[in-house]
Amino acid sequence: MPRRVQPAVMVAGFISALTFGSSVVGCSSTTPSSIQVLKIGAIPDQNPERLNRLYEALSDELLASLDIDVQYVPVSNYAAAVSAFRSGSLDLVWFGGLTGVQARLQTPGATVLAQRDIDAEFTSVFIANGASGLRPITSADQLVQLKGRRMAFGSESSTSGRLMPQFFLGENGITMTDLAGGGPGFSGSHDATIAVVQSGAYEVGALNAQVWQSNVDEGRVDSEKVVVIWRTPPYVDYHWLARPDLDARFGEGFTGRVQNALLSLSPTTERGAVVLELFGAKRFIPAQNKDYSKIEAVGRQLGKIR
Amino acid sequence: MALQRGLKPAPALMALAPGLVLLPLGLGLLRDLHAGGAEQIGRFWLAAFQPSLERSLLTHQLTGLQVTALTALLAWSLSSCIGLVLGLLCSTTIVSTLTGLRWPALMLRRCLSPLRSIHEMVWGLLLLQLFGLNGWVAVLAIVLPYSALLARVLADQLDRHEPLALTALRCAGVPAVANLFTSLIPPVATAIRDHIGHRLDCALRSALLLGIFGLGGLGTELMFSMQSLRFRELWSGLWLMALLLALVNLLIRRLSAGHGLLLLLLALPLVTMQWSRSLHHDLSLPRWVDGAPWASSAQWIEGMSQAWIETPWLELVGETLLITLLASGVAIALPPLLRLIAPAPGPGRIVKAGWLLMRLLPAPLTALLLMLASKPTITVAALALGLHHSGVMGLVLEDGLARVDDREHQAMVALGARPRSAWLFGVLSPASKRYLAYAAYRSDVILRDTAVVGLVGGAGLGWQLMEALSSFHWQQVGWLVLVYAALTLLGELLCERLQEMT
Amino acid sequence: MSLLELRRAGLTGRLQPLDLTIHRGETTVLLGRSGAGKSSLIGLCNGSLPSDQGHVLWRGQDLKRCRPEQRRQIGTLWQDLRLVEELTVLQNINTGALGRHSMVWALRNLLQPPEPEIGSAILRQVGLSSDLRDQRVSGLSGGERQRVAIARLLRQQPMLVLVDEPLSALDPGLASDVLNLLLHQSSCVISLHRPDLMHQFQRVLGLRQGELVVDAAPSAINESTLAWLYSED
Repeated sequence: MPRRVQPAVMVAGFISALTFGSSVVGCSSTTPSSIQVLKIGAIPDQNPERLNRLYEALSDELLASLDIDVQYVPVSNYAAAVSAFRSGSLDLVWFGGLTGVQARLQTPGATVLAQRDIDAEFTSVFIANGASGLRPITSADQLVQLKGRRMAFGSESSTSGRLMPQFFLGENGITMTDLAGGGPGFSGSHDATIAVVQSGAYEVGALNAQVWQSNVDEGRVDSEKVVVIWRTPPYVDYHWLARPDLDARFGEGFTGRVQNALLSLSPTTERGAVVLELFGAKRFIPAQNKDYSKIEAVGRQLGKIR
Repeated sequence: MALQRGLKPAPALMALAPGLVLLPLGLGLLRDLHAGGAEQIGRFWLAAFQPSLERSLLTHQLTGLQVTALTALLAWSLSSCIGLVLGLLCSTTIVSTLTGLRWPALMLRRCLSPLRSIHEMVWGLLLLQLFGLNGWVAVLAIVLPYSALLARVLADQLDRHEPLALTALRCAGVPAVANLFTSLIPPVATAIRDHIGHRLDCALRSALLLGIFGLGGLGTELMFSMQSLRFRELWSGLWLMALLLALVNLLIRRLSAGHGLLLLLLALPLVTMQWSRSLHHDLSLPRWVDGAPWASSAQWIEGMSQAWIETPWLELVGETLLITLLASGVAIALPPLLRLIAPAPGPGRIVKAGWLLMRLLPAPLTALLLMLASKPTITVAALALGLHHSGVMGLVLEDGLARVDDREHQAMVALGARPRSAWLFGVLSPASKRYLAYAAYRSDVILRDTAVVGLVGGAGLGWQLMEALSSFHWQQVGWLVLVYAALTLLGELLCERLQEMT
Repeated sequence: MSLLELRRAGLTGRLQPLDLTIHRGETTVLLGRSGAGKSSLIGLCNGSLPSDQGHVLWRGQDLKRCRPEQRRQIGTLWQDLRLVEELTVLQNINTGALGRHSMVWALRNLLQPPEPEIGSAILRQVGLSSDLRDQRVSGLSGGERQRVAIARLLRQQPMLVLVDEPLSALDPGLASDVLNLLLHQSSCVISLHRPDLMHQFQRVLGLRQGELVVDAAPSAINESTLAWLYSED
């Protein structure tokens, strides 16, 4: 039996030499040939099938209007999306309010290009499990009745699912330690927040009003078990953010052309209709960095921006 | 005192004893149980039988699966090679034989423990800062902790055996190096080969998890489905992953009989390089991203003390240790307990399938499912982690049991022992020592994994680490990483003392 | 000509400092109760237990400073055999020759053991079938394993053979075979539990409570000396 082993050793040696060689060659020969590809990404707040359809349509649209290759890079984590944008792995990203500010502070020169019509006055909803005995609130100061309740947020970096709800709670005298268990729970996503509140694991939850509405419209919410008890005042949220080096890489005025392409999306064209429908908006509107100074202040206040 | 030392508990009972934690956990779960999530949980399990077969989804998932497999295989092969070399250098027996000094090996060993103490997900997010979204980030995130772990396992194995043959050959004038690989390596070869083979399974799951935390592959797809509670789409991906896991385990078992494992380890980097090109998966040499996301050094020092003061360390460490303890108890005791209840091969097969399922469901998913049926408490976090890792321990146990010499068991049966006690003392007992040694490494991993289920109870260091990472609060991240490293080091020292005592 | 020389060499707590010279071609038996220090003396002689007092000289040079090729000239048959259990019989026999060969040879021994014909010849010499050659040592019986250890010793071709309790695990027939085999070596020091066999040796060393108390020809040793050697205290 040992007699058969020698060839094995020789093969091993041969392969390892070959491997070493080829990995050295492989590394240098696959240097990014992708300089002329615009990499777009988004924070994860949609279901995958929808995201894939959405970004396929958008890529086609940008290809048509900008005559440039567009690649959609899915990122499943808010912080990872911010870091990918800072490190240049993503050129154009659909960020939430908080993540957009984080990304912009880490990437000097990055510019806000556009937001949806609904983003200028975005809201969150507070929902409660029917068995919790919580009644709809008419004025914000009644939020104090949430003291001592089990409360669920979505993702820890979500503007509508965490930051702004926490801010409004604080405005009305409820700190996180006032909640049952000494702090909120984090379900990970808006949909999951509905599920954990509906199941009764948590008594109350806060999430993106748009996601809530679409869940209601699709009949995925049991109105016997879970109801909206409060809607927050409006704030600015999602937006498109572009890296500062786009003009240098794709030619003078490229950032402006991307902005125009986004703003001119219209429900009258077939592709435009698809994109806007998937984004849940009628159109994109211009937005500037300074629109998000309120979000930045809130982020700093709550320690999410350092 | 002497009497107490004489009364050593049977090893099989040592493996079952951690099961005591099931009692408080079970009670806690019963207290917090509610039926509100029954519908969602029912939907989840029903979806297992009717996964989505939509074409575009499957195409995406298959590509994702390939990226995950590629990342895992490459990381496994590299970490095994690096870990083997580091393990040799960490072995006091080897280093003291070659240099006459013990401390270089001990020092290297201690230096490697921080690498192990940081979860691959955290490594991934840290490396992402430095290199951007590059295929190597995920690979390196796995390679770093895995190499360090393999180094520890190998060094432990090498130093555990009293090297009788080593002295014999040294006295017979055999030069040190030739002596080391003749008398020291063969006794540990089987255990190490088992361990390396088993790490591929772990690497696949790590690669999936890295995807969940944003580094691409099937994990990313699964995360999207999970977040939006699309269970049918989720199950398509899970079934694909299950297929891959089963296939890989089969392959490893075939290969580890001969020198195939070694060949595979060496061949993989070559294959994966080509493979990545066909997938358009970026595995080009990672380049340093200009500019750091963290502040200048002066601000760092100031921020460090600030971050230390504002963090409630005692509470965080206490909760983390509690979760680790409870989860380890579940993970260690559940496999032998279930096998004790079902020692026959028939039910045994069902139990084995159960282990595969447990390993398949990522810990955050198990936690979410448990959370639908229970109030969010530490119990849920511990149980989610414990169940996931019991899948791993189950696999280790089965491997160990398969290697047990059957003669003892037969002798007991011949003596008229009942099937259960014959199994307990004839099969489980001899396999226990190795099982428990592995359990020590597992609790190490569970400690790191608290970072993954931190979201459940909003508790512990893990949650704080996620919060700090998502706030880009690097000073706090630095402290948390240090505390994790200190805890791991303490755990390691404790294990060493325990092993010396027994 | 002296091979091994002990000058006031001892092990604290185990062996009193002693002077002893082992000559070439001499066969020596080491007698004494269990715990009298026989294994310690063997360990002192082969260097596995470095002396903490005095000196041990191998052919005039301090044993602690001897290079591997000099140490190769001392062979030991250990009481617990110290084979590499996971290797085959042939691989274990070949470890006896590692001191004479290069690293590459040592590596080959793990993958495809070289010089199988020498191994087979030695196996026959120690009374084992050469069919055992490719079997793992861990699967062999006690007697077979001891013969493999002797085969390894023969492969080493040492100048001096040190043997610790070779007969305790063997039945009487095997015991005399093994003893004959060992006595055929040029020079040997063999520790035994069997004073009745001392007449087959040229020299008798007696140890009592860690002290060398007898050093004489077998004919000079009477019953009362033996009785005292084996008495309680």
